[in-house]
Amino acid sequence: MSTRSDFRPMRLEATESLKSLIKTYYDDLFRTAAEGRPSVWLNVGVPCEFFYAMDVFPFYPENYGAACGAMKLTPKLSAIAEAHGFSADLCSYIRTTLGTVFSGEGPYGQLPRPTVQVSAMNSCVAIMVWWRAVERHWGVPTLVLDTPLVREDSTGINLDYVESEVRRMLSWVEEHTGRTMDEERLREVVRLSNEGKDLWAEVLDLRRARPCPVTAADIFTHMFPMVALRGTPQYVSHLRALRDEVKARVDEGFAAVPDERYRLLWDNLPPWFDLRIFGELAQMGVNFVIDTYTQAWGPRYMGPIDIDDPVRSFAGYMGAGFLNVQIGKRLELLTELVRDYEVDGVVFHSDRSCKPFSLVQVELRNMLLERAGVPGVLLEGDHNDPNLFDRERAMGRLESFLEVIDSGRA
Amino acid sequence: MSGGSNGSTGPPQGTPTAGSASVAGSPTPGSPATGSPETGVRALARFRAVAADPLAELAAVKERTGLMAVGYFDSYMPEEVIMAHGVLPYRVAVTGREDLRSGEFIQGFACPASRDLLDQALRGDLALLEGAVFTRYCDSLRGVFAVWDSEKLTPYVDFVRYPTVTKTESAVKYLAAELREVSARMAAALDAPADERRLLDAAAACNRKRALVAELAARRASRDLALSGADYLAVLVAATTMTPDDFTSELSALLAWPPPGEPGDALPVVLSGTTFDNVALAASIEGAGLYLIADDLASGSRWYCVNVETARLAAGEGSGMYADPWEALAHAYLTRPPCSVKEPSSPRADHLISQVRRSGAAGVLFYLTKFCDSEQAEWPYLRDRLGAEGIPAFVVEGEQKGAGSGGLQTRLEAFREQIEMSGDEL
Ligand code: SF4
Ligand code: SF4
Repeated sequence: MSTRSDFRPMRLEATESLKSLIKTYYDDLFRTAAEGRPSVWLNVGVPCEFFYAMDVFPFYPENYGAACGAMKLTPKLSAIAEAHGFSADLCSYIRTTLGTVFSGEGPYGQLPRPTVQVSAMNSCVAIMVWWRAVERHWGVPTLVLDTPLVREDSTGINLDYVESEVRRMLSWVEEHTGRTMDEERLREVVRLSNEGKDLWAEVLDLRRARPCPVTAADIFTHMFPMVALRGTPQYVSHLRALRDEVKARVDEGFAAVPDERYRLLWDNLPPWFDLRIFGELAQMGVNFVIDTYTQAWGPRYMGPIDIDDPVRSFAGYMGAGFLNVQIGKRLELLTELVRDYEVDGVVFHSDRSCKPFSLVQVELRNMLLERAGVPGVLLEGDHNDPNLFDRERAMGRLESFLEVIDSGRA
Repeated sequence: MSGGSNGSTGPPQGTPTAGSASVAGSPTPGSPATGSPETGVRALARFRAVAADPLAELAAVKERTGLMAVGYFDSYMPEEVIMAHGVLPYRVAVTGREDLRSGEFIQGFACPASRDLLDQALRGDLALLEGAVFTRYCDSLRGVFAVWDSEKLTPYVDFVRYPTVTKTESAVKYLAAELREVSARMAAALDAPADERRLLDAAAACNRKRALVAELAARRASRDLALSGADYLAVLVAATTMTPDDFTSELSALLAWPPPGEPGDALPVVLSGTTFDNVALAASIEGAGLYLIADDLASGSRWYCVNVETARLAAGEGSGMYADPWEALAHAYLTRPPCSVKEPSSPRADHLISQVRRSGAAGVLFYLTKFCDSEQAEWPYLRDRLGAEGIPAFVVEGEQKGAGSGGLQTRLEAFREQIEMSGDEL
């Protein structure tokens, strides 16, 4: 197998502006706390749009966890959480952020204590217990927003219930922060959010080009604004710049991975501590032209929110969010993606931390091979904890997998 | 803190063994005039046999009644809903067997208890079931459901979109509506329509059996009745395996003619955790000189306190949950002491402390199933709450397999000694 050892994927220019976006966001977080203005900790299944409209600063510990992961801080922070009695088997995001909460260590020092916390049940059970630990340590009022796991869709009594839960959450936040929801402001935030999501959908769609204009690492890096800045003007301008740049690459026929021989799909979160692995694989002609993780913010799962009825519309999105539906939907998504992106094979990152994402992958791999004839391989690892990732073994498995693809072609 | 005496070993002394016909008990006040000490001994032997092979009991009941059976996996699923269809409910208990086939379908970091359930289906052990109903309960069981559903491991597979929040009126109303929808699908899938009268009867029958288990637990806690923790767990497994009437009759016999025995000098502790079906493991824990005098288990004290308000329903009185059996059912199941997968969490800690206080236990043994996220994250909190009350707590992590290891015995003995020494200092 030929490799191009001199090759490094060309970074997007938008990655530079992303850095300043993140810096400004963290500056705002600390300024909010210093000025005594309200803030909230949310999990990614709770839309930040409500909070921008209420002028309550939204912070996502999962985002922060990923940042610590990328800086390889998880082992150190996890050890602190473990010393407090939290198991090393818990999701590495939990161990990472609790490490900061308990010790004040981390890239930004101690995080400001939020005014309130809200977690929705639409990703995992672990989120709820994570928030509880923070609630107990800091005494932060915390609300669980119920979104019962569904098979495929949130409709009928389920949607009514989730909507009532969103309304319960809004009143509770108003009561605990002293802020009120400004309906007009919410409409404007939702309008901006929809605009940005359309741009994101375009970026995802542009990855269908042959050759693909970006690597998976490029796109994973850009998750931060999709999670934490939706509905802000800077989010829209950033997404526009990103879309324009990716589109220009497609127009020029730019190949993010020259000699793109293997168009693969990445399932699950990436190893944040080792995004370089995508660059190394590029040397073998591999590009992950699409992934399932970033689809969670794509049009399929987070379609436009109805400006005239945002609460119900958000409830629908929360009730049937990416990790709140079951295997049938995941299979449907994978089948469509392998077809639309002309994928040769699927790498299922079996993420030790994330049970809802991972525990269906064996079955999905088998079904995908059977129904779409596309091979898949399970790669054991973790999104944040390098101690749970045997890189050498993973590379070996990937190389064998490429041979499987080659033999299928022959 | 109440400490045990030094040198304690083994489970309660005098606890009868199956078939120990010579032991004599005496009837408790108000017990049936008929019967004899043998009645209680026979009842206990029956519970032990059912717990040792619950599927054999299911096969026998099916044979006797000619009814279909639907399995379920956690104690938040109201078995009354299944009974309302004239179908036998069967809580699939964890076997603790080592025979793993699930590795071909699900990764090893799904908790071993959940994989055990899947293994049973993959081995074909659950062929007696016409259906299976899941709730989300936890992320491991959710993964098991995905495999079960796509592999069609039972002809009918369903899923209750269960609430996590337990203390709101809207959650009760929603769960009631959801149970109706599940019931409609079950009726169509099994061609077995539900009947509200039967639902009420089922709730009454299940109330009776749960109340009797509560009575058994209370009498154990007050040392009025000496039954080893292992036998108590056998009763719990039997409670969701036998038909309610059969179980109630056997447990009534056991309560009326309790086999004699003194708690002995084993150190009394409360067993805390999720569902715990492994009688052999409990016996081996007690073999380290501990006595499981009370429990804080999803399949034990957090389950048997469910009481559906049937009396007012039957009389057609009242409004709201007293007028609608589905709401009464939802209310009863949501207001039990919550498991760590439910919200809020502090009532669980209150419940655990009350189990310790009521039983005079010397400490808490927290059995943590490997990869059980919610319990792993709850442990430091429970430890601290117990610590604030001066109650020693000890955690063991395991796979709910076999009878435990020698290492476990050694650690448990160290725990016992630690409590006994601190008791001596007081
Ligand atoms: S388990 Fe998965 S969904 Fe849950 S916090 Fe961790 S990464 Fe997120
Ligand atoms: S032990 Fe924990 S993870 Fe396992 S099935 Fe029970 S609740 Fe789920």
